[in-house]
Amino acid sequence: MKSLQTRHRIVIYALMALVMIFFVGPILWFSLLAFRHPSEAYTIPPQLFFEPTLQSFERTFVDPGNNRPQVFNSIIVSTGATLLSLPFAMSAAYALSRFALRGKDFIMNWYISLLIAPPIVFVIPYFILMSRIGWAGTYQAMILTLQTLAIPFSVWLLKSFMDEVPLDLEEAAWVDGATRLSAFFRIIIPLATPGIIVTSMFTFVFSWNNVLFPLILSKQSTTTLPVGTISFFASTGVYWNQIAATAVVAMLPPMLIFLVLGRYVVRGLTFGAVKG
Amino acid sequence: MQNRFNLNRRLPYLLLAPSIIILLALILYPLGFALRNSFWFWNLQTSAVPLYHSGLDNYRMVFQVTPFTEALKNTLLLAGLGTLAQFWLGMGVALLLHTHLRGMGFCRALLIMPTTLAPVVAGFLFRYLLEPKGGLLPWLLEGIGFPVPPQGILGYAGSALFAIGMVDTWQWTPFFAIVLYAGLLSISEEVKEAAQVDGASPWRMFWSITLPLLRPIAAFLVMIRFMQLFNSFDLVFVLTGGGPGTSSRTLSFNLYREGLVNYNIGLTAAMTWLVVIIVTVIINLYIIFIFRKREW
Repeated sequence: MKSLQTRHRIVIYALMALVMIFFVGPILWFSLLAFRHPSEAYTIPPQLFFEPTLQSFERTFVDPGNNRPQVFNSIIVSTGATLLSLPFAMSAAYALSRFALRGKDFIMNWYISLLIAPPIVFVIPYFILMSRIGWAGTYQAMILTLQTLAIPFSVWLLKSFMDEVPLDLEEAAWVDGATRLSAFFRIIIPLATPGIIVTSMFTFVFSWNNVLFPLILSKQSTTTLPVGTISFFASTGVYWNQIAATAVVAMLPPMLIFLVLGRYVVRGLTFGAVKG
Repeated sequence: MQNRFNLNRRLPYLLLAPSIIILLALILYPLGFALRNSFWFWNLQTSAVPLYHSGLDNYRMVFQVTPFTEALKNTLLLAGLGTLAQFWLGMGVALLLHTHLRGMGFCRALLIMPTTLAPVVAGFLFRYLLEPKGGLLPWLLEGIGFPVPPQGILGYAGSALFAIGMVDTWQWTPFFAIVLYAGLLSISEEVKEAAQVDGASPWRMFWSITLPLLRPIAAFLVMIRFMQLFNSFDLVFVLTGGGPGTSSRTLSFNLYREGLVNYNIGLTAAMTWLVVIIVTVIINLYIIFIFRKREW
C-alpha cells in the first residue's frame, strides 16, 4: 500500500481515538465505580480522580459476601455445560467433517437454527418440567438445558477444526489396520486438541454470560454471578457500587479467556464459519 | 470384513445420533408442551394443572390481553435498525483497522472488550451511565446542548427502545468490525491492484470489489445478529423492563411477562407458537432470498 499522507493519518488516528473512547471508555468508567465510596456513586460534575476503596468488593465477596457462592455456582454450571456438550459435539462434528452424508447441509442448518431460536420459548416449559421432576433450582437443570446452545455451537466450531486435520494421516492409519473409530481416537482427537480447547473456552464463556436459563431455573443458593448482580436491584434501593463490584468480577473471566484466545476470536464468534 | 463395512456405513449416523436425540428431546418437549397447552385455560397461580379446554381462545387473547402487535413491531424495529447500524459502523471501524497504521493491532485487541461482556453487565453499565441524575451521558449531552428528557433516556417512551438498540450496537459493533476486518484481509492484493491499474477510485473499488467479496461473510453475520437481536431479552430486562408502559417490550420480554410474571401458561403457550411461526418464516425467507447456497 502506498504510504498515506500525513493529513490522512491524522484523520484516521482521530477517528480511531473516538472509536476507542466510545467502545472501551464506558467499561473503564463503570469499573471505576466499583472502587468508589458509596456516597460518591454520583457526583455532579463526574469525578475522574477519587480515593479508591475496596469496600464494595468486601461487602459482596467477603462480609457478608452474598455473591461469593455465586462465583462457584457460575464455575460449576459453565464447566458442567461445557464438559457435557463435548462428547456429543465431538462425535457429531467428526461425522459431519469426514463422511459424505445425505442431507449434511440440512443437518448443519438445523444445528444453527437452534442457536438463533428464541431461548425464552424453551425456558418457560423447562421451568414447569423441572419443578415436576424435582430438578427445580438444581445445577443439572441449568447444565442440561444449556445444551440447546452448547451442543449446536460446539458442533459447528469443532467441525471447522476437524476439517483442517489432513485426511492422509487418517487414511495411513486405516492402511495400518486401524478401524475408523480407533483412528478417530488416535489421530483426530490428538490433532484436533487445540480446536477442542478453543471450543471449550468459548462454550464456557457463553454459558458463563448466559442469564436467561439461570434466572429462571436456579434458586437463590444455586444462582450464577451475572444473575447475582440483578439481586442488588432490590426494592430498598439500587446499590450501584455493589452492582459494579460483582459485575467487574463477572466480566473478568470472559475477558481473560478472549485475551488468551487471540487469533481464534473471529472463528469462535462466527461458529467456525469465518476462519480469521 | 462384511461386518466392518456395515459398521463404517452406519458409523456417521451412530455418531450423529446422540447429539440429535438429546437436542430433539430438549426441543420437542417445550414445543409439544406449548402446543397442547395453547388450547387449554391454565393459570399457574390458581391451578397446578390445566383447567379446561378453551379452543382457540388463547390465540385470540394474545392480541387482546398482551401488546403482541406492539411487541412484534418493536422487535422488528430493534432487530432491523440494530443490525443495520452495527454492520455499517463495524464496516467503518474495519476499514480504519485495515489502514494498518502503527497501533491498529493494539486497538483491535482492545476493541473486542464490549462483545465479551454478559448482556446483563452491559445493561447495568449503561443504566449507570444513563442515570438521569448524575449519570455521565446525560451530563455530557446536556453539556453540548442536547435535550435530555427529564425522566431520563430510558424512562422516556420515545427513546427507551432506541437506547436498548444503542447498547446492543455498542456491544456488537466491535464484533462486526473484527470479523469484517478478517474478511478484508482475505481479499487478494492482485484483485485490488488490477482494479487500481484500471483506474478505479477507492469509492468505486469499495462498492464493486470489496463489498461483493465480503458478501458471504456479511450475509452470515447479519443473519446471526438479526436473530440474536430479535430474541433480545437480557438487555430489555435490565435496561427498561419493557417500559415505560409497554413502549420497549420485545416478543421475548412479552413471553416472559405473560409466562413467568402473570403465570398465564395457556396464553403464553399460544404466544410461543405464534413466535415460533414468525421466526421460522423469517429464517426461511432469509435463506431463500439471501443465502441461497452456502458460499463460505
